[in-house]
Amino acid sequence: MNAVYATSLTAPPRAIAPQRYVRDALLLTARSLRAIPRVPERLLDVTIQPIVFILLFLYVFGSAIHVHGISYKDYLFPGIIGQSLAFGIIGAGVATSNDMTEGVVDRFRSMPISRLSIITGQVMGQFCEALLGMAIVIGFGLALGWHPHLTLAHGFELAGLMILAVFAFTWLGVLFGMLVRSPDAMQGIGFIVIFPLAFMAGTFVPISGMDAIPRAIAHWDPISALVASVRGLTQGTHSTGSWQLDHPQLAMALWCVVILAIAVPLALRRFNRTLAG
Amino acid sequence: MTEITNTETPAIEAHGLTKRFGSFTAVDRLDLRVEVGTVVSLLGPNGAGKTTMVRMLATLLRPDAGSARVAGHDVVSEADRVRGAISLTGQFAALDKNLTSEENLRLMAALRGHRRRAARQLVDGLIERFEIGEFRDRLVKNLSGGQRRRVDLAAGLIDRPQLLVLDEPTTGLDPRSRQVVWSTVRELVGEGVTLLLTTQYLDEADALADRVVLIDHGREIAAGTPAQLKAQVGEQRVDIIAADSAALQQLVALLGERFEVSVAHEQRTVSVPAPGEAADLALVASAVRDSRIPVDELALRRPTLDDAFLALTGHTASESEDETRRDAQGPGAENTDIPEEVAA
Repeated sequence: MNAVYATSLTAPPRAIAPQRYVRDALLLTARSLRAIPRVPERLLDVTIQPIVFILLFLYVFGSAIHVHGISYKDYLFPGIIGQSLAFGIIGAGVATSNDMTEGVVDRFRSMPISRLSIITGQVMGQFCEALLGMAIVIGFGLALGWHPHLTLAHGFELAGLMILAVFAFTWLGVLFGMLVRSPDAMQGIGFIVIFPLAFMAGTFVPISGMDAIPRAIAHWDPISALVASVRGLTQGTHSTGSWQLDHPQLAMALWCVVILAIAVPLALRRFNRTLAG
Repeated sequence: MTEITNTETPAIEAHGLTKRFGSFTAVDRLDLRVEVGTVVSLLGPNGAGKTTMVRMLATLLRPDAGSARVAGHDVVSEADRVRGAISLTGQFAALDKNLTSEENLRLMAALRGHRRRAARQLVDGLIERFEIGEFRDRLVKNLSGGQRRRVDLAAGLIDRPQLLVLDEPTTGLDPRSRQVVWSTVRELVGEGVTLLLTTQYLDEADALADRVVLIDHGREIAAGTPAQLKAQVGEQRVDIIAADSAALQQLVALLGERFEVSVAHEQRTVSVPAPGEAADLALVASAVRDSRIPVDELALRRPTLDDAFLALTGHTASESEDETRRDAQGPGAENTDIPEEVAA
């Protein structure tokens, strides 16, 4: 019986702080990643929804939408990519909110490990899950005959921009997940805020044809910049009409920097402060 | 009082600890001292402030006022040191439900800085000790409440903590799992682990703790050894419910000769003090049987938390829960009937 303690009493050597941070962050990231195959519903959430939208708009509503100078299929896929990246915010928020209400995070917090490593594990797990979901959606699009016209340079630019966007959106989702009281509340925010913004962003129909108010919103909707970036890089055409739509890649990169500059410190602060209990 | 006077740094020393959530004061100027090697239980109804107190001591919540040292370290300015000295098992199983029992334990061991091989040895030892082998490869989300608790306790003991904190370890468990948790806790105590335990059950505090602090509305209302508290609360008794009022008269006549009975006429109940528990129960039961007086029910009754509150504060625990809710609505619901200290 005391043998259990005998080994533990030979205290493990305390690694110096940065090494410990990396080690703990890797352990906790691995923990988050293990959940992906074990909770397949979560991955389904980020893949089924875009696939349903693809099928609906391609084969149901698509015949009624005509965009000048581009096939609807090629018009649609960049929109779907932007939309599902945005929905990743909801996914990360729900998962974080779930995790925060579980006792396991309390145990981590009461252990002598850095809190930054706990949140890093959370973010990295969500980030990898979102990238995987993205890859599946793109694969589905290609299988249905989407033709992105990419040069090598544009390909790298697109990949870099999308990874940056997934990273920023994940942090934003993690922040929301910590601020709300329950996973249901996160779903609510998603439906009220993120859903309309993702629809208005020139996702399915051109911004220029919208009514004045949604058009004004869409001109400055960050998701518009994302959709315009993807569409510009893959099809060589995108919405215009505001500074961010005229320079979508630069605008999107700036949005990501702004989101990270706000969400990262707030999420860390919120995490350190703790939820009511 | 059989207080252990100890010159060692106490495991917990808290003074005037206070936590407010908006206008609701969850913990109100609470003092607490836990000597090394002892078991102290915070006993109180839901919403009494037990969990908030524990979370402040475990560095998960920052106190609004007062101070606390755990294992000699300040919970605010030396939080990291405190975290190194304690192990907290919270009210809800603090495990990753998407990992297996063994993966959970391995993860906790790795996070505590044990290298792969040492971690495996440690975890194997804990699996054996807590009899987890049968479900070591099962995902935690598929375990029963009792099984989860065992893994939970094991996870809390990866490194021998200077202070083990168990927040309501048996709430929601079936009686058998409860017994398993109790015997595990007793073993740990036998090994000299210092333990802070919160519970809603008087019998649990009685069974496990050296010292009990009864709290309500975030304040201490009584403290002492279980024996001292029980002496204030009253003993166990045998309650006999007569079949009708005639039978009640006969019962009073029969038992009144040999015992100091009390009678509740509306409930047709005769109560007999039973300090000897089962032996007294058997004695009373055979006397009643031999007399052939018709009875509806005969049972040994232990004082509950409600009885304790009634005896110490003049109102029951469930009433005080309602008041807690009222307090949460806003100030003004002052409770003047609670004595500041009914200490032993």
